[in-house]
Amino acid sequence: MKNLKYIIIGCVLVISFASCKKWLDVNTDPDNPNNQSVLIQNRLPWIEHFYMYSAGVANYRTACQAGVYYAIAAAQNTFSTTWQCSNANSTTPYQTWFVAVSSNVIDMYNKAEKQGAYHYMAAADVYHALGFMQMLDIYGEMPYTEAATGNPSPKPDDGKTIYNGCMAKLNEAISLFSKTQEAGAPALSAGDYMNNGDVSKWIKLCWGLKARYMLKLSKKSDLYNADSILYCLSQGPQSNADNTVVPGFNNSTVTDFLIQDPVVTNGNFNYAAYGSNQRISQYYYNLLTNMRGSGVTDPRMSKIVPAAMSNVKLDANHHVASYTWNRSIGVDSYGPSTRLLKGGATSITTATYATANKDIKYTIADATDLANFIASITAAGKTFVVDGNNVTVTYPAGSIYINNTNYVRAGDTVYVNLRSSALATSGNPDQPPTDVSWYPSIDAFNAGVVGSTGSFQVRPVSDQEILTYHEMCFIKAEVYMRQGDAGNAYTAYMAGIQANLDMMQTKLNEWQGAGYTATNPDMAPMNPDDISAYLLSDAVCQSAGTLTMSDIMLQKYVAMGCSIENWNDMRRFDFSAGDVGSFGVVYPGYQRGPLFTGQTQLTGGSPTDPRYWMRRWALPPTYEINYNSINTLALNPHAIDPNIWSMPVWWDCATDDEYYGFLK
Amino acid sequence: MRKLVTALFVLLFLQLSQTTFAQERTITGTVLSDDNTPIVGASVLIKGKTSGTQTDPDGKFTITASPGDILVISAVGFTTFDVKVGNSSTISTTLQRAEGELGEVVVTALGIKKERKALGYSVSDLDAKELMKNKNTNVINSLAGKVPGVNITQFSGAAGAGASITIRGGNSTSEGRQNQPLFVVDGIIYDNSTSVTGNTGTDGLSRSNTTYSNRIMDINPEDIQSLSVLKGAAAAALYGSRAADGVVIITTKQGQEGRVSVNVNSKVSTSWANKLPEVQTEFGPGVYSSNGVLNDITYDSWGQKIPSDSTIYDNIGNFFQHGIVYDNNVNVSGGSKNGSFYLSGSNFKQTGIIPGTDYDKTTFRFNGEQKYGRLTLNANAAYSIANTDRTLTTAGLYGGGGNGAMGGVYSWPQTFNMKNYINLDGTQYRKFEGTIDLENDKDNPYWIVNEDDLTSKTNRFTGGVNGNFKIADWWDITGRLGYDQYNTNDYTYIAPGSAVIPLYQSGRLSKDRIGYSYIVTTLMSNFHKSFGDFDTHLMLGTTAENTEITSQNYWGYNFVTAGTISFNNIGNENKFFTDGTTRKRLVGAYGEFGVSYKDLIYLTATGRNDWSSTLPIENRSYFYPSLSGSFVFSQLLTNNHILSFGKIRASWAQVGKDANPYATNTYVWAPYTIDGYTLVGNQWSAGNPILKPEIQDAWEVGGEFKFLNGRIGLDYTYYHSQTKNQIGQPRLAQSGGFIFSTLNSGTVINKGMEIAITGKPIVKKDFSWDAMLNFSYNKGSLGAFIPGIAYFYPTDAQFGTVRAASIPNGGAFLAMIGRRVMHEVDKDGNEIANGRYKVDPTTGLYLLSSTANDQPVGNREPDFIAGFSNTFQYKKFTLSFLLDIRKGGDVYNGTEFALVTNGLSKKTLLNDRQSVTVNGVNSVTGEDFTQTYEADQSYTIGSTTYSGQAMIQNYWANYAQNSYNFITSVNWVKLRSLSLTYDFTSMLHNQKVIKGISATAVGTNLATWTNYKGMDPEVSAAGGTGGSGSTGIDYLGVPAVASFTFGVNLTF
Repeated sequence: MKNLKYIIIGCVLVISFASCKKWLDVNTDPDNPNNQSVLIQNRLPWIEHFYMYSAGVANYRTACQAGVYYAIAAAQNTFSTTWQCSNANSTTPYQTWFVAVSSNVIDMYNKAEKQGAYHYMAAADVYHALGFMQMLDIYGEMPYTEAATGNPSPKPDDGKTIYNGCMAKLNEAISLFSKTQEAGAPALSAGDYMNNGDVSKWIKLCWGLKARYMLKLSKKSDLYNADSILYCLSQGPQSNADNTVVPGFNNSTVTDFLIQDPVVTNGNFNYAAYGSNQRISQYYYNLLTNMRGSGVTDPRMSKIVPAAMSNVKLDANHHVASYTWNRSIGVDSYGPSTRLLKGGATSITTATYATANKDIKYTIADATDLANFIASITAAGKTFVVDGNNVTVTYPAGSIYINNTNYVRAGDTVYVNLRSSALATSGNPDQPPTDVSWYPSIDAFNAGVVGSTGSFQVRPVSDQEILTYHEMCFIKAEVYMRQGDAGNAYTAYMAGIQANLDMMQTKLNEWQGAGYTATNPDMAPMNPDDISAYLLSDAVCQSAGTLTMSDIMLQKYVAMGCSIENWNDMRRFDFSAGDVGSFGVVYPGYQRGPLFTGQTQLTGGSPTDPRYWMRRWALPPTYEINYNSINTLALNPHAIDPNIWSMPVWWDCATDDEYYGFLK
Repeated sequence: MRKLVTALFVLLFLQLSQTTFAQERTITGTVLSDDNTPIVGASVLIKGKTSGTQTDPDGKFTITASPGDILVISAVGFTTFDVKVGNSSTISTTLQRAEGELGEVVVTALGIKKERKALGYSVSDLDAKELMKNKNTNVINSLAGKVPGVNITQFSGAAGAGASITIRGGNSTSEGRQNQPLFVVDGIIYDNSTSVTGNTGTDGLSRSNTTYSNRIMDINPEDIQSLSVLKGAAAAALYGSRAADGVVIITTKQGQEGRVSVNVNSKVSTSWANKLPEVQTEFGPGVYSSNGVLNDITYDSWGQKIPSDSTIYDNIGNFFQHGIVYDNNVNVSGGSKNGSFYLSGSNFKQTGIIPGTDYDKTTFRFNGEQKYGRLTLNANAAYSIANTDRTLTTAGLYGGGGNGAMGGVYSWPQTFNMKNYINLDGTQYRKFEGTIDLENDKDNPYWIVNEDDLTSKTNRFTGGVNGNFKIADWWDITGRLGYDQYNTNDYTYIAPGSAVIPLYQSGRLSKDRIGYSYIVTTLMSNFHKSFGDFDTHLMLGTTAENTEITSQNYWGYNFVTAGTISFNNIGNENKFFTDGTTRKRLVGAYGEFGVSYKDLIYLTATGRNDWSSTLPIENRSYFYPSLSGSFVFSQLLTNNHILSFGKIRASWAQVGKDANPYATNTYVWAPYTIDGYTLVGNQWSAGNPILKPEIQDAWEVGGEFKFLNGRIGLDYTYYHSQTKNQIGQPRLAQSGGFIFSTLNSGTVINKGMEIAITGKPIVKKDFSWDAMLNFSYNKGSLGAFIPGIAYFYPTDAQFGTVRAASIPNGGAFLAMIGRRVMHEVDKDGNEIANGRYKVDPTTGLYLLSSTANDQPVGNREPDFIAGFSNTFQYKKFTLSFLLDIRKGGDVYNGTEFALVTNGLSKKTLLNDRQSVTVNGVNSVTGEDFTQTYEADQSYTIGSTTYSGQAMIQNYWANYAQNSYNFITSVNWVKLRSLSLTYDFTSMLHNQKVIKGISATAVGTNLATWTNYKGMDPEVSAAGGTGGSGSTGIDYLGVPAVASFTFGVNLTF
């Protein structure tokens, strides 16, 4: 009897241990696929989307630095106005590239290699170059060879290593795209929502990127190679049909895991036109209204500079009966800055919609200000009552006005914000997908009173321009100009302007066809007569003999707009220092304004001192420097210095000695 | 056998022969324990004679004795008491509970009861009476100050808020890793996690922005009979992987043999915020721009002097209310020779100090035992329902104004009436409506508490069945089946018109469900045999555990028809859900062998092998041993009255710890769709396919000493532990491609000391005084970490200018990293530690370290903690109090940081805001720098002209960035509890129904003496996250509370 007990216990133990091994195999998450099993054709659109996201924030914030935009938000205001560069800018482009994209690029490359899917390997190479070159442009040095593989403390690389690595990847991409994929490998079109699997377009993208990157070396007498750039341009995009853009949509309310921004929309929109904080800066506005001192308005102006409705009269149903368009002016950060000096660097106020007549009482102690204020509201045809220092203005129902009792802000309706609405951001379920205008409130929407018509490059349904033919033309113009070949430079310059106008016109026609113009005239095509007149006006240089580098670069600036390339170009020409070659001041009027408080960040004493200007960003203070401090400081002990913002990156230095001198 | 019979005869004869000479009388008596409950089975002997008896279930006895005889009354676990027989024929005696006395039995690993003297490691135990002295519905809170080496941190003063407990410091730095001990209730592992449901993206919930409970709160503290704390690895080793941080063993009440007894008690208590932050009421809202222009569209209070005729609102004081608790308990117990039962029910209903918040807990428990010959079966089952009605506290929702109720309360300008939060049409009243977009605005705290709805409901069932079969008198087998299961349902509703991104401005709803289930089967075989003076035992056992956690999150936004808050009222395109399943399995096989010699020397060895599903197959099996011993040297000292008991002990052990489930792979996010393409990409956590188990190596030495027959006792322990191959998922440089990566990295070292001194200074018939003083310290440090990483950030506990961190290569485990002002340097360029501040000539303000160059600014670990408890008994009165003492340990006052930042801090009233002076050395030239900024002047710094008002504001912004301005090394003495009980039982003359009645008044946290200037320094922002956590960071939390409770206890 006792023995039986032992036998039973023994059997139970043996059986339980034998089945134990299988019983323990539960360490695979049944709900989530892991990174080994993901299909490359699902990885590629992920990469295309999230790279656009990273590029969007990089474009927007560097455009603030380049003088394209003015921003109210404290962090970006330090780029657009005070130049007291804030670390708060540093994290997002870095995080959206490294965390959302970079490890996927490596995983896709490795899996594509196993499948013989050469085109996916090549696409991984292209994104590798796009992403890391953008990081180099912004941050100068960061982990590269050890990056993106889960290495807990990757060592950073210098700018030269990153630059050469990206160029090598583009060369590899060109040869991989030229190969036929192994049987069974998924077609590129299965995962490519950017170029729809058009391999020749991808190859042109590679050559075009090589040209863009080789142009970065313009300060380096030993590495800058005009012939090579021209060769690359000859292999790159030859017309707008060869443009690589990521399309934006307004057909979903889904937001992403990382920042809760809409998934389907254009990447620039998510930063530049999502909220009410952005305005056109006067620097950009002037180029669109007074290029070359011509006083000529660019036909692109009303497509780029937003407008809001004003002088609104409502009918009995509280619907707009009549109105005029109030086209924005630019915010003056670099000039006299009269308005900003009165209210402070971030003081431009966002407009409100008046559902009913609204009285606002302003108290104005200063006699001159009082007189000027009364004059301005009289000119605007406002109803008002003056009582000593107090002026009470009545804003009729339907008005777009500033709901603030400070008279300094009362006129801020002249600065229309760049905001557009998307299904995922408007909070108004009644606003249809074909209406991307911004309405200050649901009441304003119901009345049909538009708060902003938005701006060409930063609407939810805009194209995210990865590489365009007009950029190629301007690169060509610059290269020829540097060679002293004004004739070819002029041809390319004119082709660049034309290409940008054509590209915009095509998109505007497309928008008109899709019905966006029903509520938004700024999305309608430009008047062809205005285009012709503009091309023949003084705003455009009319002969090779009078063409200047500034003409080329400012037309490029207008065309590129919301793009990191403007700030890259400005660094190559030392902004408005006028000390590069014999080109004189290439970006006239771009200078420290009266609200400048960036002495600690930009320590250079004069414009010809490299450290006078914004030349890079600090690495993300927490997520890179602090978490990886030993390695970061080993390469660049100045990474934590407050004036890191004015340290040139590798391609912004004439020589390696100069560059490594900064890193010492 | 024959010998025994002979002996009995001899005894009987002796007794008969002696009693014939005495003038005998019949004496009746009662023996009660010090909590006035009858002691069953106490032995009553006449000194020098062999006659004796035992008490019945009512504690009563009858004995025949002569005047002058001395009755020796003793019972297991109590101090023996002598009573001289006088003229009275009744004798009532109260026995004092003995602590650490010879023969005392404690519960050790796997529920094995052992004599305390046999232990080679330190075990602390508390009985029901001790726990009930300051009853807290969260039993963890009742341990504060009572057990050396145990550190309790309350998450906040909110209703239903949890608490964390660490024993001898933490062993894992990483947030996702548990440093809290394993809880075992009646032999079954009882989950004590703090489940954070939801996600910052979808419903805005993270640890820092609402109230979370820890699940041990589901236990009714009244059901607890005793609680043992197994502190070291040796004590806990048999529990395996989950016990590396110690074990708390809870034994619930059983019925007693004898009649059925009914106990009813009711308590009512009121609680209040014990300390609120103080704010200035002199300056109104506004901020100055650099050129001196005042912007009044702001909640910041840097504006103009408030006119004397303006109304000032005490927004903070008005917001908090008195909390009320109603606590009702009933239990019925009883038993016979072969069986017993215990049945209880309770309801705890609390309203919080924040309006609209409450916590409601209802529990039921049944414990039963039945013997069938050699087989003993017992079963227990508990069911609890816990509901919390909570609020957003600090950080707000992503895309919102960034404030929760607390963030709003502590920043609302004092000239705004915060109570004015709603318009007549039901929309939110907003001071800056039209000027600040709703999504950039701040929600009014009253809006949050009245309009939003955040609740958490948990239903839990736990139960177990044990069978023990005695095969022989030297061999028995125990089998156990345990089950622990709960469902948590969290509900988060954000009302339409809240300050969130436009997408959610028509309202948002999310529901989270967590289903936890745990099944464990255990089989143990015990052998026990003596060989001469040697006593041996051998235990072999195996256990299998299966844990499965399912989670679902449903969320959506935009209610189509106002007033119906339901997913049914949301369009399909705006509804989302996610699903999760976490499975973990573990098989353990273990054994223990012990041998003792003559009650003098005890040696025990254990070994355990675990197979865990969470590790890679090649690393999933791991073995760890332990060895412990004790030497009762007082056995060798004969009749020593000064040192009545002495023992030294030592142990060494290893404990293995496995990984979290699924840490071996990198997973991908749920797909997105764009333009017909499907997008899939990596999550932000990298998995690790080559993980190894984490192994803790620990040793401890100690001793126990009793002096003067137990009137004074001393228990001393020194310990050292080192956890190698620490598994963690730290935040790392994002250039690695991920935010978190799972790694084996570095070691955590803890060493410390624990001392407990017990004393009974006065033991008289009508008056007694018991005192206990405990003292402990722990020094936690981090060993070698990943090369290249200077600081390890375990968590999101990053508030103000500081972050919780651990410092590799010997630095503090509970450090804080932060920003500071740079000091002047000496000739060699080295910073002078207490030198003058550097002033940056380009800003005219103190030169701050770069945020990227944050360095350690504090250590949150106390120098020592201590508890001093005293109980005085005078006749029917019992008075006890507990002091909780802490020396050192830095606390960051992030609340004050926030107040300085928003201009509400009283500090900012310096010089009536008319001037500030910067005094130090020029950071560029090294020359002296002194500059006073006057409000009505202007200053040109670099090429910019600043108004004096802007410079004063900038001065305070600069001040706020210096972490040291808000860090205090905190000392405190807290009157943790003060209670007074009166026993009315003796007034119940010949009462047949009511057997006992007593009333108790208890005050908790009535007084705190501290050098800390903020709210209560016992804080942990972000709900005490895991790993090295957020303890010691005070940031916009719900204030801690003090309370007063009155209760009545009736026994039938």
